[in-house]
Amino acid sequence: MALLQIKDLTFTYPEAEKPVLDAINLNIKQGEFVVLFGESGSGKTTLLKLLKRELTPHGEKNGTITYDGIQVSELTDRVSASEIGYVMQNPETQIVTDKVWHELSFGLENLGIKTPVIRRRVGEIANFFGIHTLFRKNTTDLSGGQKQLLNLAAIMVMRPKVLILDEPTSQLDPIAATNFINTLKMLNEELGLTIILVEHRLEEVLPLADRVILLEKGKLLLESEPRLIGDKLIRLDKEHKMFLALPTSIQVYHALGFSGKSPLTIREGRKFLADHYEATSSDLIEDTHINKEVAIELKEVWYRYERDLPDVLANVNLKVYKGEILSILGGNGSGKTTLLNVMSGVAKAYRGKTFVNNKQIKKYKTRELYRHNLAVLPQDPQTIFIKSTLREDYAEIMKVLGFNESDIERETLKIANELSITHLLDSHPYDLSGGEQQKAALGKILLLNPKILLLDEPTKGIDAFSKKVLAEILKKLQREGLTLILVTHDIEFSALISDRVGLFFDSEMISLDTPIKFFSENNFYTTAASRMSRHLFDYTVTKNQIIKACEYQDE
Amino acid sequence: MKSFVSTHPVVLFLYYISVVFMTMFMMHPAILILSLLGALLFFFMLGPTKQFLRDTGFYLFVFILIAVTNPLFVHRGETILFFLNDNPVTKEAFVYGVVIAAMLVAIIFWSKSYTLLMTSDKFVFLFGKAIPKLSLIISMALRFIPLFKTQMKKVNNTQKTLGIYTSKSFFDRILSGVRVFNSLLTWSLENSISQADSMKSRGYGLKGRTNFSLFKWSSRDCRLLIVIASIFIIVMYLNIKGVYTFNYYPVVSNFEFSIKHSFELSIVLMLMILPTLVEIKENLQWRYYKSKI
Repeated sequence: MALLQIKDLTFTYPEAEKPVLDAINLNIKQGEFVVLFGESGSGKTTLLKLLKRELTPHGEKNGTITYDGIQVSELTDRVSASEIGYVMQNPETQIVTDKVWHELSFGLENLGIKTPVIRRRVGEIANFFGIHTLFRKNTTDLSGGQKQLLNLAAIMVMRPKVLILDEPTSQLDPIAATNFINTLKMLNEELGLTIILVEHRLEEVLPLADRVILLEKGKLLLESEPRLIGDKLIRLDKEHKMFLALPTSIQVYHALGFSGKSPLTIREGRKFLADHYEATSSDLIEDTHINKEVAIELKEVWYRYERDLPDVLANVNLKVYKGEILSILGGNGSGKTTLLNVMSGVAKAYRGKTFVNNKQIKKYKTRELYRHNLAVLPQDPQTIFIKSTLREDYAEIMKVLGFNESDIERETLKIANELSITHLLDSHPYDLSGGEQQKAALGKILLLNPKILLLDEPTKGIDAFSKKVLAEILKKLQREGLTLILVTHDIEFSALISDRVGLFFDSEMISLDTPIKFFSENNFYTTAASRMSRHLFDYTVTKNQIIKACEYQDE
Repeated sequence: MKSFVSTHPVVLFLYYISVVFMTMFMMHPAILILSLLGALLFFFMLGPTKQFLRDTGFYLFVFILIAVTNPLFVHRGETILFFLNDNPVTKEAFVYGVVIAAMLVAIIFWSKSYTLLMTSDKFVFLFGKAIPKLSLIISMALRFIPLFKTQMKKVNNTQKTLGIYTSKSFFDRILSGVRVFNSLLTWSLENSISQADSMKSRGYGLKGRTNFSLFKWSSRDCRLLIVIASIFIIVMYLNIKGVYTFNYYPVVSNFEFSIKHSFELSIVLMLMILPTLVEIKENLQWRYYKSKI
């Protein structure tokens, strides 16, 4: 019998015209690993919240959800709280207490368990998750990945039978995300835990799943084993948006005209390519007509936060040319964001010089520097918004810039049209999804009419389709003459849009090259496409390049 | 090295209560000097020597200031030393000034080591039993404050790069402050909603919540508690009998030099240097172990 049974589930939010979930039928068996995906706004989060009674939103619900044969609304409080675990998106806001040990014991305290028992269970869980060394630390001192692991551990300590996760890795860097997903794999394989996971990053998750489910506009569009999801999706609609969300190997497989069971992992993708195509060597042809005019220059810049702390930037030299897109990659805490802060004038170097348009940054007045010149899109787009609707927010900044009422209206619509966010103008910025927030924030920044745009982790927490849209917007801005500097973890994204890619490591820029050279010379720190095809082709670092190289052979 | 710190919070708290009580309410000069000595010694054991020297230097200045101020403003007492601006400066007022200064500086140094030893989790543990919700609220507040600070910094930086209200004028500063505050308000509300969700989904609000803590009662805590309690009771008994009574006005009492009295004072000394003794004992033990290895 199924552990969770969803029957004809329809759910409508109060005052909404259309239901957000429409006649969903789903059975989840004990020990299954189910991955759910879909565009933002497809009802994934609502579906997950309906499974966890404590989080069930207000609205009109039809149909039934049963857990272990009992309706979810009729479970006892204790069973509902402890047996169904729920991990949310943001690692930060789920943590309740100040100490790691207290966070781990919080759920058990609520259940009224005695101290010696809590002591044992907390110790056991800390060891299992490998966070025993953090046990007495403050929760604020943990990294993002450690925080999310703590959240997971704090739920697992209550011994749930079902674990529900809503995009748990969207705020994490790739290494922490992989680590988190491996932990899920361990929970599923070694403890037989039933897992329902909503994810954007399918590359790593799909090989672990027993079943993949695609939601679209509140309906269950597809349900399949991972190997057939690409096939089924393409049969349904050749140009389907969500195709982009699938792992590289699946996308390449179907783009080359194959059908049926697809390769899932990099290893299988490599084998598939080797079975069907021959190794060819080619010369690197790149157009290197980079404008040699310099937009930003750092000369021997040194920075540290406090006198007694180590240098974050040590002897950094960097030239950013006008009209290029430069991506700066690097691990967590490597100082990438600090580098960006120095370029934007938020942080001041204690030695060395920073030039913006050949003028030292400290000689600018703030107005000169930040109007029609240099703008920053921060990592957390929420910090940009002040007002209660987007429209007011846009109007405020334009008033300061000296536009009159009618101009404000016109400019707002113009920018909203460009970013296709017109329908969001009257919503509260905090109510938007990750991708929408990112676009809205970018819109506000663009009102300042910058020539140089600095972006800090622009792809954090947004889905594959939003990424594609963002890439198109950034490319368009480049064509309009803007210089863009990105700081990012997202290797795939940087390979797609940059003119140059640099790696920031050990407080300096250690390599700076065109993406093709950069990624094809790297062996580990490179795109999935490059890892999948390097045994056959020399310079294929994006999936489109692989597809091109393969099609070239077919002809 | 720091072994007194690992003592059970209850013992720690009772120790500080009794020491501070004795220092504040028993005006016998020897007791105050002993308390000052104990506080200084223990603080010396705890921190880096540099810090100790810097603090001692500063509070020596405070000590002298208080000691000198009292006779300048208080003119009670019978033994006039000299006249200043036609006002008598008395020996009694001077002695009293020194004693008060010793008391204040002793309290300051006790509280310095107290803040090092009594971390928030211990405090929460102590008072959580009396008011169960309080411990969680304090813990949540301690979690929220650093989070709020980081968010404030982030919003500040972002708003700075937007380039509005960034001039140094008074008006702009106020406006920019209001804007940041606005943003933080929305953020806090948003944050508290998802925190409430996280609490609810982990069963907060069920009946019979327990309070977990990491502190365990050991036999050493027992011994220490017995020592502290018995010294305190003996001293209080002697105090009621008037053994430690000492007058400053109108004449300073005579200090009693006798074997009996020095025994009565050495009991107080015991209590005052108890943490130092614990530390020294532990240090010696380690040295002994090391030499064995």
